[in-house]
Amino acid sequence: MVLSVVDLLLSGLLALAASDPTFIPEGEAGTAGEEEGAAAKEDRQAVPAHDFAALKRLGAERSRFLTPGASMPPTEQREPDLEGFQGEIYPILEASCLSCHGPERSRGGVRIDELDPDLVHGEDVDWWLDVQAVLSNGEMPPPEEEGLSGEDRGRVMEWLSREIQVAGSVRKGSSSHSSVRRMTRYEYEYALQDLLGLPFPFADDLPPDPVSRDGFQNSSELLTLTPVQLQAYLRAGRKALLAATVRGEQPTPLSWSISMEMAAGFEFGRQQDRLAQARGNKEQEPEKREEAVARLREQWARRPGGAHYESLRTGAMARQTWHYNAASFAWSPEEGLPDPGRRPAPPHDHVAVIPHRQGLIVEVGNQIPARGPLRVSVLASRARLRTGPAPVLELAFGWQASNDSRSLLSLPTPEHVVEAEPGQPRLYEFEVDMERIYPRNGVRTTAKMGELPNPSEYLKLLNASRDGDALRVHHVEVTANAYRSWPPEAHRLLLPERPRERSERDHARGILADFMTRAWRRPPAGAELERKLRLFDSLRPEAQDLQEALVEVLATVLASPNFLLVGMERQPEAGAGSPDLAARLALFLWSSAPDAELVARAAAGELESDEALAAEVERMLADPRAERFALHFTRQWLNLSLLDYLQVDRHAHPRFDEDLREAMLGEPVAFFAELLEQDLSVLELLHADFTMANERLAEHYGLGGVEGTHFRRVPIEDPALRGGLLTQAGLLAMNSDGRDSHPLKRGVWLLERLLDDPPPPPPPAVPEIDLADPEIAKLTLKERIEDHRDDPACMSCHAKIDPWGIAFEAYDATGQWRSEVEGRPVDATSVLFNGQELDGMVGLKRFLLEHRQDQFVRALVTKLATYALGRELSFEDRSAVDELTAEVRRRGDGLATMVSLIATSELFRYPRGL
Amino acid sequence: MTPAPKGLPVNPMQQIASLDRRRFLRGSALALALPWFESVAAAAPLGGLRPGAAARRRFAAVYFPDGVPMPLAADPAFEEWSWFPHKEGDTYRLTRCLEPLAGLREEMTIFSGLSHPAVRAVHGHSNADQFLTGGQTGATGAYSNSISLDQVFAAAVGDQTRYSSLVLSTDGGTGTPRGAHTLSFDQGGRAIPAAHRPQKIFEALFVAPSGGQGRSLSTSASALDDLLEDARSLRRSLPPGDQAALDEYLDSVRATELKIEKAERWRSVPLPEVERGSMKLEATPEDSRSYLQAMFDLMYLAFRTDSTRTATYQIGRENGIGISDHLAKAVGFPLSHQLSHETKNPDGWKNFGIYCAYLAEEFGRFAEKLRSTPEPGGEGTMLDHTMLLFGSASSAFHLSRNYPLILAGGKAMGLRHGRYVDHAGGEMFGGAWTGGREPWQQEFEREDRPLGELYLAMLHRLGVPAESFAGCDSPLAGV
Repeated sequence: MVLSVVDLLLSGLLALAASDPTFIPEGEAGTAGEEEGAAAKEDRQAVPAHDFAALKRLGAERSRFLTPGASMPPTEQREPDLEGFQGEIYPILEASCLSCHGPERSRGGVRIDELDPDLVHGEDVDWWLDVQAVLSNGEMPPPEEEGLSGEDRGRVMEWLSREIQVAGSVRKGSSSHSSVRRMTRYEYEYALQDLLGLPFPFADDLPPDPVSRDGFQNSSELLTLTPVQLQAYLRAGRKALLAATVRGEQPTPLSWSISMEMAAGFEFGRQQDRLAQARGNKEQEPEKREEAVARLREQWARRPGGAHYESLRTGAMARQTWHYNAASFAWSPEEGLPDPGRRPAPPHDHVAVIPHRQGLIVEVGNQIPARGPLRVSVLASRARLRTGPAPVLELAFGWQASNDSRSLLSLPTPEHVVEAEPGQPRLYEFEVDMERIYPRNGVRTTAKMGELPNPSEYLKLLNASRDGDALRVHHVEVTANAYRSWPPEAHRLLLPERPRERSERDHARGILADFMTRAWRRPPAGAELERKLRLFDSLRPEAQDLQEALVEVLATVLASPNFLLVGMERQPEAGAGSPDLAARLALFLWSSAPDAELVARAAAGELESDEALAAEVERMLADPRAERFALHFTRQWLNLSLLDYLQVDRHAHPRFDEDLREAMLGEPVAFFAELLEQDLSVLELLHADFTMANERLAEHYGLGGVEGTHFRRVPIEDPALRGGLLTQAGLLAMNSDGRDSHPLKRGVWLLERLLDDPPPPPPPAVPEIDLADPEIAKLTLKERIEDHRDDPACMSCHAKIDPWGIAFEAYDATGQWRSEVEGRPVDATSVLFNGQELDGMVGLKRFLLEHRQDQFVRALVTKLATYALGRELSFEDRSAVDELTAEVRRRGDGLATMVSLIATSELFRYPRGL
Repeated sequence: MTPAPKGLPVNPMQQIASLDRRRFLRGSALALALPWFESVAAAAPLGGLRPGAAARRRFAAVYFPDGVPMPLAADPAFEEWSWFPHKEGDTYRLTRCLEPLAGLREEMTIFSGLSHPAVRAVHGHSNADQFLTGGQTGATGAYSNSISLDQVFAAAVGDQTRYSSLVLSTDGGTGTPRGAHTLSFDQGGRAIPAAHRPQKIFEALFVAPSGGQGRSLSTSASALDDLLEDARSLRRSLPPGDQAALDEYLDSVRATELKIEKAERWRSVPLPEVERGSMKLEATPEDSRSYLQAMFDLMYLAFRTDSTRTATYQIGRENGIGISDHLAKAVGFPLSHQLSHETKNPDGWKNFGIYCAYLAEEFGRFAEKLRSTPEPGGEGTMLDHTMLLFGSASSAFHLSRNYPLILAGGKAMGLRHGRYVDHAGGEMFGGAWTGGREPWQQEFEREDRPLGELYLAMLHRLGVPAESFAGCDSPLAGV
């Protein structure tokens, strides 16, 4: 059997490309990389193994950005040094490179003799950057070939560095990539949510967006606008406006007042029926009957594990019965708001008890409408007096139409920690708009109650605490159509009532001017407003009333390129301030449109000074909307979608569950958000003495004392095991194959995402690993990879990838630490291409902190700038990225500082030049 | 004792009745001729279809639930009541299950040994959802589906008729995930609600003024012109390097204008006049035969008046629940699904077979009607220009393999008929279920051919040069 393991291993690489500019390792510019290893060995003796703080200091000393004079001195040179190339450089390259990269052979598709030595005007700059990288890293010429003398290498590097510097400064800011693009799906949704003040799903009908090869979804190259997209936007915008507006009279509230007293009564009644049945069973001997009765009593005396009812007076208990068919457990609603008089008063007798991780179903039938607020009030307390963590009340919504069709989802409402003590229940409220609930029961309006498919729906009260106290529920009230005002606020915001004395047209003018200002991120020009009013004039006679005409015109405001297109930099009209900058800032930090404050500031010209702009950035980062930045940037940068799709082998990892997947997805985002909020050093991403965890994740890491589903700072107990992104379970898991670790994926991910040094894609014909060969079959994965690497066809690339990935071997496919693999001790030691030894994760982190700080910081600046600009970076942006990196490093590497510097940089402020 | 539902629901049917008609129609089953499938349509330029009536191509898919009788060869019922014919090729012999289709022998092909691979190991009750899509609908948990065959075709020809497609089912609406009440799914894999009341369908097709449904003033010509103005003025304010996005925008608005113009022209075209004839539009599924005939007649009329070129009809949902389960009343049985469970009883195969023969009879009546009607403005009969698919997503007891399938009509599109094409090679799983592991839970040595290959071949015959469907990129040969 020939199994193409390597095909699989490498398939993940196919999307990569080789041409990204590579950074020169710090302290080594102009020298060969081998010295790196020797230097590191010396330092290792000086710094204790896990003293990462000391390593950070030591590594910073090597920074070329922090060392005066380490970078090239400025030059007046504006033209390429072609003479120097012809006379001195080309002969060296000819002798050392052309045998493999020349007319005879062109390995990797590279021909040095065909590269244009004019970096200032030519088109081969990216190739030259690769040449610079492989020379400085000591990757080329390969060890088996005749070497390049240190002197020659130095000469080539010096010439190349100078030319790159000159070309970089001459070509600065002239990128051919435009930042102008349509909004992504998620930006469109946020923008509408902010604009309309409604947290509804507005983008569900838009086609999915493409993802760039470096993982960014907001890249202008890919966000093209097709007729399909435009038509989807036309519909989605109009649909959103219809969802935000209402017609007619306020719908009557429907309410359910559900007494646990009564629910328990039904359940105890069922018990009595069964007792009577056992007693009256004439086919049994009298003693047998008594035995049966005794068995039932014994069974009911034990506290059920699931949700149950309890009489506080007698201590009697009965588990909750529920089944979906016939909808026989559905409570019926009444018109009007619930009557608070129905809530039970002390002394309380019957209650529902929900132990931790259990749920109580409250079935409400098929009467809950498609839209409008649903309010759920639960009169509850904890079951015992302070004997453990408090119960956590969460609300879920579900239905079951048939034996094979059902749904249960948590509602997007905050959970309640139930602190009320037994005997003193309090009211815990939830409110959710039905528009946010998907999927609803699809037969709810077509099938009859009591028949199948079953149209009924239910709420589920969950005690989400993992090992906390049980929850006592006394009473549940559910109200549909629970509008607090009519028309609802979102409607009034959009379509305020027309004062009698004002004409329809004047009224429309006011509404349009306001909406256009908010939607278009700037006040409309007079002509633009007039044009929309003319459209209003022409649609008004066709519309049934003013509201319809207004909604239709507003829909065209949302379909306009002024709303849909972003990333623009126009010459502002005199006195108009800088509205485009405000729009780009809001897109960067909020994934949305600016708020009124930002629009006003931009219009008043208050974003012109560096200080004011930085202050505005600070305000924006402190706003809850900045969570979107942490979420989307982190997801895209780290490619967290891999984790969404990861299929974990549940036999190999029986403890993996969806809660853990969710926690794994949350950790890197929460960690990034924490660094951002505290302006902590980005080097914390490489190692930190804390992480962000919730209860499920802490359990996975073996860390105690963490309760609930929210993320909070948790100290790392053993820095040898955890700390920083590299040891986060989700990132380790998503770079596994779901069963075992995957050094290759992990290595590639590290190079691509954290070091911005993507390896080249695999060649088209990858040799297969022959698993039928018993010698190969018994090798460990690491040995197989090493064996594969010995194949000359694979070696040059794998030598660059594998050692990085092997350092992660002490973490399994779910990111758990392990000391053994299949009964053999973990071997996580490897040797980098330059002879540097990496001793597992600690060795890897030590190396990165000692020798790759500059590269890592610059990589993050690059990724953030790519995201901020919404376009691919190119050589023209290189010197700006260098300057930003230097400034970030000088100011102590803070993440918020980095974001602020990018937002206030020329690169961001003047994408089309000064 | 259970909580007494007091004053529980008003009749849900009344709720539907109270929905105003515009909303009902806008809902869907009659999707407007303003489809959103350009990516498919772009792959299938209309140039592929010759304009004019002579080039009309139509497609209808009809689905029945519960599988078909498959007695073992040793069973006395085998000869008479196996659904699949005996012997392969053009000398095959129909059993009594398909006897009503004998007159259509030269107009149809029967297939065995085809199924969608994605959910072969899932209980057949959950699989009607993917009959026309081949989607990964799974057995439990999160649910997704993909575009159905009829909607791919509708994307290509939908703008040539008043309605881009007609979506019908006996149970109506979308149903629920893995319990679909519709065969049709849009490009995003979302269920398209099916219409189920003959009266309403008739009114929507032939009575109600229908030009304006779903039309929004915001896509009127003046609104689109206004968007063009917005785009032009914005374009002028941008440096040349940033104008490409605006050019795309302008092109997109222009393409949308063309599309909407095309849809708008239906507003001025008078509705076709149709005789109700003997159609019982008020029939409900309880009056099974009249109901089925009304639904088939509506499809026939929709085709004859060229109101649409594609229709789907799900005769019944799966899982033995819902109103469609009562359709067996026409042949004297209370519930349809039950028949598939009781095949081990005396006359079990026969009873199930009688029901299948009834469905075949009504399907055959529909096909015959198309055959007896000359193609309007064209050559041959309407059946020659209409491709019909009749089948189910399970064969033997809940087994989602070896779908029973009949492809009929469409000779003008080059379909060859008169054969039984056996891809199962005679090794068909069958027999009554007598308890224990159900057939769908067993492992099978022989794998079916992917049904997507047949669907891809059908798309090509329909003039849609799709490259793949349901993961299949090579069409089944010899269709």
